[in-house]
Amino acid sequence: MRLLVVEDDSAIREFLNRGLTEAGYRVDVAPDGKSALALVDEEVYDGFIVDLGLPDMDGLDVIGRCRALGHTAPVLILSARRSVDERVQGLEQGGDDYLTKPFALAELLARVRNLLRRGAAPQTEAVRLRVADLELDLVRREARRGSDLVQLTTQEFALLEYLVRNAGRVVTRTMILDRVWRMRIDPATNVVDVQIYRLRNKVDAEGKRPLIHTIRGVGYVLKEN
Amino acid sequence: MFLRKTKSQGRSAAWRIAIWPTVAFALGSAVAFAIMYLLIARDIRERSDAWLSGEAEVLADVSENTPRDALYDRLVQEVAELASREVPDTSDAYGKHQSSVFFLKTEPRQEPIWVGPTPKELFIPSVTSMPLVPGVPANVRVQGWKKAFRVVYHAQKDGGGLYLGFADLGGAQMLDRLTERCLMVWGVTVALGFLITWLAAYRTLTRVERISETVSRIGSEDLGSRLPEGPHFDEISRLSRTFNRMLDRIHSSVNQMRILTDSVAHDLKSPVTSIRGSLEVALSDADQRQWRERVAEAIDGLDRLSQLLNTTLDLAEADAGALQTRKEPVELSDLVKQLVDLYQPAMAERGHEVVTHLQPALIEADSSLLNRTIANLLDNEIAHLPNSCRVNISVRVKDGEAELTVEDNGPGFPPGLRSRAFERFVKGQHSTGHGLGLAFVDAVARTHGGRVEISDRAEGGAVIVLTLGEAVNEKVGR
Repeated sequence: MRLLVVEDDSAIREFLNRGLTEAGYRVDVAPDGKSALALVDEEVYDGFIVDLGLPDMDGLDVIGRCRALGHTAPVLILSARRSVDERVQGLEQGGDDYLTKPFALAELLARVRNLLRRGAAPQTEAVRLRVADLELDLVRREARRGSDLVQLTTQEFALLEYLVRNAGRVVTRTMILDRVWRMRIDPATNVVDVQIYRLRNKVDAEGKRPLIHTIRGVGYVLKEN
Repeated sequence: MFLRKTKSQGRSAAWRIAIWPTVAFALGSAVAFAIMYLLIARDIRERSDAWLSGEAEVLADVSENTPRDALYDRLVQEVAELASREVPDTSDAYGKHQSSVFFLKTEPRQEPIWVGPTPKELFIPSVTSMPLVPGVPANVRVQGWKKAFRVVYHAQKDGGGLYLGFADLGGAQMLDRLTERCLMVWGVTVALGFLITWLAAYRTLTRVERISETVSRIGSEDLGSRLPEGPHFDEISRLSRTFNRMLDRIHSSVNQMRILTDSVAHDLKSPVTSIRGSLEVALSDADQRQWRERVAEAIDGLDRLSQLLNTTLDLAEADAGALQTRKEPVELSDLVKQLVDLYQPAMAERGHEVVTHLQPALIEADSSLLNRTIANLLDNEIAHLPNSCRVNISVRVKDGEAELTVEDNGPGFPPGLRSRAFERFVKGQHSTGHGLGLAFVDAVARTHGGRVEISDRAEGGAVIVLTLGEAVNEKVGR
């Protein structure tokens, strides 16, 4: 998968380059709109990550030009501004997703993954998810650890389903609130941690191998070891 | 230097304001006087013409019907003199003690009969050379007389002509006197009018001048001084009042800004210090396993920083009236229920009991702002309550307005904080927050046409009532 990152801040550009390369993408970077368009002219990309505040032109214009050149690959917009209007404008003018700075790399990776999957053929909807001896029945909304039924509330099941679907990948608190509770809030208290803690008490009961791990400073990951 | 310049400008403005009404008044009154003068002059002339025509007819009659004997000349002369005496002697005004009436009878072969001022040689050629229509008075100018004579002519059967002339010196004098007085009155009125207008304009402009002086001083020196508002309720006083209100607002926002800058700087310093510290410790730590812990600490610090930045920006936007909202129908009770579900475990962990009373309340609102606002209130409860309290959360429609109440049986608001709780960076002594929470809640409430009220319960504990504007389910619900 080949990505083009258009970002004027060299520190952010470098960190995106490293993070995305480590995640297995081939990354080209452009510091401004002009060099981005020059690259777009010659190469074919599977996705774009575009900062809105470029020194020479508006990021939205860059996206517009790419679209005009026939590029249909998904675009993730980055912006320092957080106004609702700009977000909507960005999404209306060819952006496929929108992320405001500052953001966690984990969240950026999740969004890029989502965007790239969007273009691919739809997967057949699974009815069962399985990680190690944890099994989720999505139809009956039941979770089993080995042969034991884990008693979960609707909310807890949704949280577990999200973690299982992203098994092996780190998810941040912001991502959990956004995807599971559909809220873009930034609580000053440890509400998400307590939710995870409760879920962990049920899923990783005594005597079981722990599946839900805390990645300090970033978020959580559900994985076998 | 600067002051003197503005003062002279103020005077010239008063002059400009005064000059135009004065000019208009002067012109108007001059036209009125002129019309009056013309009307009076016409009236005087008509009256003297009537007298003249009558007398001329009588004289013509006498001269026609008197037999032509030796006494004829004498008789005609006497009658003419009698007629001329009817006019009062007003010739004094012109310094001539002479009658202003003349009678002339020309005859083909004889000397003309003349009764009137001397020398008659000045009159006879001017009068006889005029082409006069019989019976119609006309103006005849005579050398040495300022006033033209009105002359009536009658042709006589003997081939001669009869002329009766009259210079209405009394009328002329009256008109002259009238003109003189009118001019005087006119001049005084115009001058007085100008003076009064100028004074009024000058006084008003002096007040304006004082306002501009004070404002310019405020602009360059201190924001504390205010304009004198005065006892009047006129436009200028209103201007002063408006300026004062504006200065109040500027003053308070400058103060706010100062507090904001100070507090942001202060609040930024501690996370920055701790982040820097963590990273430095990580660098100097030989044990690489400790690095993770230090870096994680640094990231926590950065999260706190970005949270502070976001809230500060939101408040700045709200203050500038630029908090952007996307309003849509939102069921407040559903939204609150979701948030309570999210917060419930964290509350329970601290031993709090959460009781909800949620009645349907459909409102037009920005759900993302509401989420953050209510999350803020719940965060507050968690942060400030001692363990094992009871929190009542209710949603209802009261007087057509959706109302969210968060009530607890904790210690209530710290004394002295309640009145200032909505100001930025006001926080309790032991609070670990930024002091922006309630200010943000207040801003969102106002964006939704509502308000937030806080109070202490009589039996202990705090109550926060958030009103969020008109409930649209009111009509459906009843």
